[in-house]
Amino acid sequence: MRRVATVERPDWRDKAAACGFGFHTIDDAPYWDESAYYAFGLRAIEDDLEAPTEELHAMALDMVDRIVASERHMQQLAIPDPYRDWIAQSWRERQPHLYGRMDLAYDGSGPAKLYELNYDTPTSLFEAAFFQWQWLEDQLARGRLPSGSDQFNSIYETLVEAFGTIARRIARPFHFAAVRDSAEDQGTVDYLRDCALQAGIECGALAIEDIGVSGDGRFTDLDDNVIGCLFKLYPLEDMFRESFGPYLPRSGLQLIEPPWKALLSNKGILPLLWDAHRGHPNLLPAVFDDGGALPRGWVRKPLHSREGANIAMHLDDGSELRSEGPYLHGASIRQACHPLPRFEGHYPLIGSWVVGDRACGIGIREDSSLITQDTARFVPHVIVEEARGVLMA
Amino acid sequence: MKRSKTAALLLMSAAPLLLTACDSESPAREGLYTSVEACTAQTNDSYTCQQAYAKAEQEAVATAPRFASREACEASYGEEKCAERSDGAHHSFFGPLMTGFFLSQMLSRNGAPMNGFTSGPAFRDSSGNWQRPATGGARGSVYRGSNRTAMVPISATPNRAVTTSRAGFGSSGHSRGFGG
Repeated sequence: MRRVATVERPDWRDKAAACGFGFHTIDDAPYWDESAYYAFGLRAIEDDLEAPTEELHAMALDMVDRIVASERHMQQLAIPDPYRDWIAQSWRERQPHLYGRMDLAYDGSGPAKLYELNYDTPTSLFEAAFFQWQWLEDQLARGRLPSGSDQFNSIYETLVEAFGTIARRIARPFHFAAVRDSAEDQGTVDYLRDCALQAGIECGALAIEDIGVSGDGRFTDLDDNVIGCLFKLYPLEDMFRESFGPYLPRSGLQLIEPPWKALLSNKGILPLLWDAHRGHPNLLPAVFDDGGALPRGWVRKPLHSREGANIAMHLDDGSELRSEGPYLHGASIRQACHPLPRFEGHYPLIGSWVVGDRACGIGIREDSSLITQDTARFVPHVIVEEARGVLMA
Repeated sequence: MKRSKTAALLLMSAAPLLLTACDSESPAREGLYTSVEACTAQTNDSYTCQQAYAKAEQEAVATAPRFASREACEASYGEEKCAERSDGAHHSFFGPLMTGFFLSQMLSRNGAPMNGFTSGPAFRDSSGNWQRPATGGARGSVYRGSNRTAMVPISATPNRAVTTSRAGFGSSGHSRGFGG
């Protein structure tokens, strides 16, 4: 694994504009960054990232089965009482899920370590599936990459296929919803909707704020149609707390991601996985936090923290790092500190995509801090041919 | 190869599709809407929605079922759902008010709506079923009583419920969104 500085495509901003990628720059700070790329050998991709992703995914689904059978686990994950049966039922029915992204720390050698599962509202999808792919094709055509360069990225094909697979199980009308004023979230649901349409699924879009509820507790769109299935890029745990939450279990509304994803997009899954698979090479030791002082060598993460918010890190050398954020209340977990590798001053975090149940690609975000936050930049990657007898590291 | 052979965009693309897959018939987009706003929310095309609505409203008078009396109309369409109309030849009659309109557009291969559209009025009968005038169907005559034969049910009847409240989700929203 190497970080390679490279020349940007002169017209990439025009290309971004042409495909509706409006959030390549956020608050004047670059988000899409093609001044460099990460290069991997094929073996590193297949053995160290793809295979472990599939294995971790299977372990996670396995764990859902155990959690829904355990009030204690539901309690540990802070699942509110009124939603527990509903979540369990959604799992018993195996309500279809679409996608997830697991974040892995990986330095090119040795086992990748699971930081967390973003299994409810993952973003950076469009950049990984489309724009990164287009970058590779363009740079190959311009001769800026070694010929034969490839990318671990069949996210697009896998998404369209996954939509096709679950099409018959999606209730209609089918709507995609995200927060109205978030360009990034809107871009992500636009892309998912694009893929659904390509799979032949009719679907609409509305802002999460525009969802209505009828007198008999069903969810409606702006045209007063009862929504059959809602893809919501909005955290389940927030929906639970908000005023329409109590309608969810009896509304008849199908959700994607389904309710059972609340058990996986929850950092409480990490200590449960560690308990069940102690010593697994891709897992870091993890425990539920008791609220006490954070010992050296541990990281504290709130159960529902997103975008690296409210993370506290006590490094082995005694130094401490802390990120701000809104997740001030509620339970946390501790995870053994395993800092991200450093490449020329940057700390890349690997987002490994699971669509349907298949590991199908990666996207890399790098930050200038050990804690990857919403300041991170998306940097593309390539798979380069391994020279005979030379191991890429 | 570990990457997609193609990465096409349908909605998001301003450029033609990169797809080399075999041609399929142009897809159509059709919706039944109760307001221009609902149409715009769905299609992002307020101009076409307004045009479709105006055209449907105009046609509603001509194509709506005709009844000799308000009572007969209301029996089929519900109280206060009918209006008196005139065919311009001094014959007055009663017909249901338009309660919605449909809009259908052919989509080009890149998913953009092609020029032109079909639209028409939609009516909801007293049992809540949606119907629209049959295309090319015989126009009913007020003197033969109601002419429900000229109306066809709309198969894509939206499942509807009166919304009593909105904005019950989204209060935790940050402008940066939620992606993790």
